[in-house]
Amino acid sequence: MLNFETTLQDSKSYGDLTLSEVEPILKINLRSNKREFSTKIGKLLSIIPPIEANTSSSNEDYSVLWLSPDEWLIYSNNKISYEQQNLLEENLFNNISNINQGSVTNVTDHWVMINLKGYKIYDLLSKSSPYDFKNFKMKKGSVTQTLLNHTDVILHNIYDNNLNLFVRRSFSEDLWLWINDSARFL
Amino acid sequence: MFIINCPYCGERDQTEFSSGGEAHIARPKQPTELSDDEWAEFLFMRKNIKGIQFERWNHSHGCRKWFNVVRDTSNDKIHAVYKMGEKPPVNK
Repeated sequence: MLNFETTLQDSKSYGDLTLSEVEPILKINLRSNKREFSTKIGKLLSIIPPIEANTSSSNEDYSVLWLSPDEWLIYSNNKISYEQQNLLEENLFNNISNINQGSVTNVTDHWVMINLKGYKIYDLLSKSSPYDFKNFKMKKGSVTQTLLNHTDVILHNIYDNNLNLFVRRSFSEDLWLWINDSARFL
Repeated sequence: MFIINCPYCGERDQTEFSSGGEAHIARPKQPTELSDDEWAEFLFMRKNIKGIQFERWNHSHGCRKWFNVVRDTSNDKIHAVYKMGEKPPVNK
């Protein structure tokens, strides 16, 4: 039987740096190359998926991250119950997938979201990522997909020194342990 | 180690990409009419040039899109990057 419970521990702090897993939140993967798709999402969620690479758009409830020219990740900014998640997924599915406007996949249990706060977060990430964070940290709402300690991650810069990191559930414990281990030496 | 300018995401380190081998190899229009040697030629035989080579690359740890690269294999200098389906910006 699959165990959907996370293996990560509660929030951890190392000086100014704070790490914590945020759940339960909704995560939905969207794929489409249809013209009407953006307006559909706009009507359903009051948010337009970004067209510009490495950016995101947000409103009070949701953030939409650019993953590729025809792929986006939506996640809820606030914790919401599984019942509400299912309702929203059903709504998107009926209005997009069912009429061949794109695909809607619930990836809530696929990704684990870890929030990182503190002025040393980029020192921590730079320890084991090939990505140059110079422009990323200057621009609020930046998104990138890269490697961190050989693990695929999605990073979303929420505001100064505060970002959300998405990692696949099966890699989450390993990355969590690496982050904690590295953070001790900052 | 070198930097590749992904046509979708921008400049990224080579470790984020996977190489897909030689580019612009057209699939034979009538595969059933080929001899075994001709089929093997299409499937397996690739150039291994010291110099300018046309290659396919995939941004496997980023946007997961395929694109083409013109690379000098002797010094890893990248001369051009262009999307799938586009014509090479330099002479092949």
